[in-house]
Amino acid sequence: MVYPENKQENTDNLDHLSDNALMSEVKSGDLDKLGLLYERHKKTLFGFFYNLGNNPSVSEDLVQNVFMRMLKYRGSYTGKGMFGAWMFRMARNVNYDHHKKTAKEKISWQVSSEELGEASDDGFNESMEREGNSILLKRALAKLSDEKRELLILSKYKGLKFGELAEILGCTEGAAKVRVHRALKELRTIFLELETS
Amino acid sequence: MMNKENFEIQVMEYLSGDMPEKNRAQFEKLLAKNENLSKEFEGLMNIWSKVENLDAPKPTAKMDESFFDALVQEVDKKTKKSFWILLQEMVFSAFKPQLAYGFLLVGVGLVIGYFFSPGEMPDENQKIVQVDEPLEEVRQRLVLTLLEQPSANQRLQGVGEANKIAQVDSIVVKALLQTLNNDPNVNVRLAAIESLTNYLDNPTVRQGLVQSIAHQESPILQVTLANLMVALQEKASIAPFRQLLQEKTLDTTVKKKIENSIESII
Repeated sequence: MVYPENKQENTDNLDHLSDNALMSEVKSGDLDKLGLLYERHKKTLFGFFYNLGNNPSVSEDLVQNVFMRMLKYRGSYTGKGMFGAWMFRMARNVNYDHHKKTAKEKISWQVSSEELGEASDDGFNESMEREGNSILLKRALAKLSDEKRELLILSKYKGLKFGELAEILGCTEGAAKVRVHRALKELRTIFLELETS
Repeated sequence: MMNKENFEIQVMEYLSGDMPEKNRAQFEKLLAKNENLSKEFEGLMNIWSKVENLDAPKPTAKMDESFFDALVQEVDKKTKKSFWILLQEMVFSAFKPQLAYGFLLVGVGLVIGYFFSPGEMPDENQKIVQVDEPLEEVRQRLVLTLLEQPSANQRLQGVGEANKIAQVDSIVVKALLQTLNNDPNVNVRLAAIESLTNYLDNPTVRQGLVQSIAHQESPILQVTLANLMVALQEKASIAPFRQLLQEKTLDTTVKKKIENSIESII
């Protein structure tokens, strides 16, 4: 959503507030501050759900579920640690619950036939090749276990350091690095297999 | 010799940019010395950059709309709930005899205060407005989102939400005026006029309504604006109405109505 200039000015006044400060205000009853947190993180969360294999419409619903869950469990927010880690922990639970609810329906990477068609039209074109690679990568990700896929998608977010990733996973920082490394290695093996098949 | 786990950790530190400059040089030296590690690293770097470049489409405006809608509902719910809890507490306390006497004294004090200083009342109203401010802000944002929607029903809902706002800011006024001048749906434009009449004290609203006379082609809107200008006795509207009368395509009934309106305003 594009805000008109003055509206932007109004929100700019609150821009200096950290995520933690805003969430603490939500906790103390200023529910509207959740709107600012939503504006800050909606795209990241949408990308997270989408890259985990959910279709765009489901991803949008899941983003909303995360924020509604933040409201519901605002009392449990301690303000310790990074807001992003708390948010992604909630996002993981939302994704898990959604797929549990949709009755053991396996997360399927929806690679549409149009996407495949476009890629095979002209394999020499660089952008097409990139697109082909992206579809191949999505297929390779789909073959990974849910846990490893989630790990790689989480580790791709620039704002999330390994320390925070470890906080989300509930392990040490070193262990988080090793786990991402192994997931990455497995992804590469699957990717190469798909590429040569 | 570095063990496997250490190497794995260092690869991830290097790829994510977490590794300090000094260690980077050391790590690069290690790779230069060992062809197997170097190959493994290159392969991982390649797939890491692919994962990093994974993209996603942009979420639609529908997501914003349903989020802010849900948030407004939650805020409303909370406001009502707090009021209810407060009321319950008051009733409960009133049954305690020792407090009942206190309440009586406060009540007497309030009554006396009310009669002796009626000028204090506007401050109380101001306080209520201040408490509602966050809710108002969220609602204003919802209005702006709804007014941008392609569905006329949703835009109508947006205008309806605007009616619930006690003090609109200039952005919402601007959005409502824009709706009045440019919305393709007559019903939405009519609703926008109705909503704007809530803020006739605002000079921008009055000026915007006058300026929109020239933009309207629908007879219903032309007549509605004519009626409104008569009610307001807005002299500034005479010029645009005269300009409208020059239009050859103007409906004859509307023409008569506008002529009568000009006479009433003069």
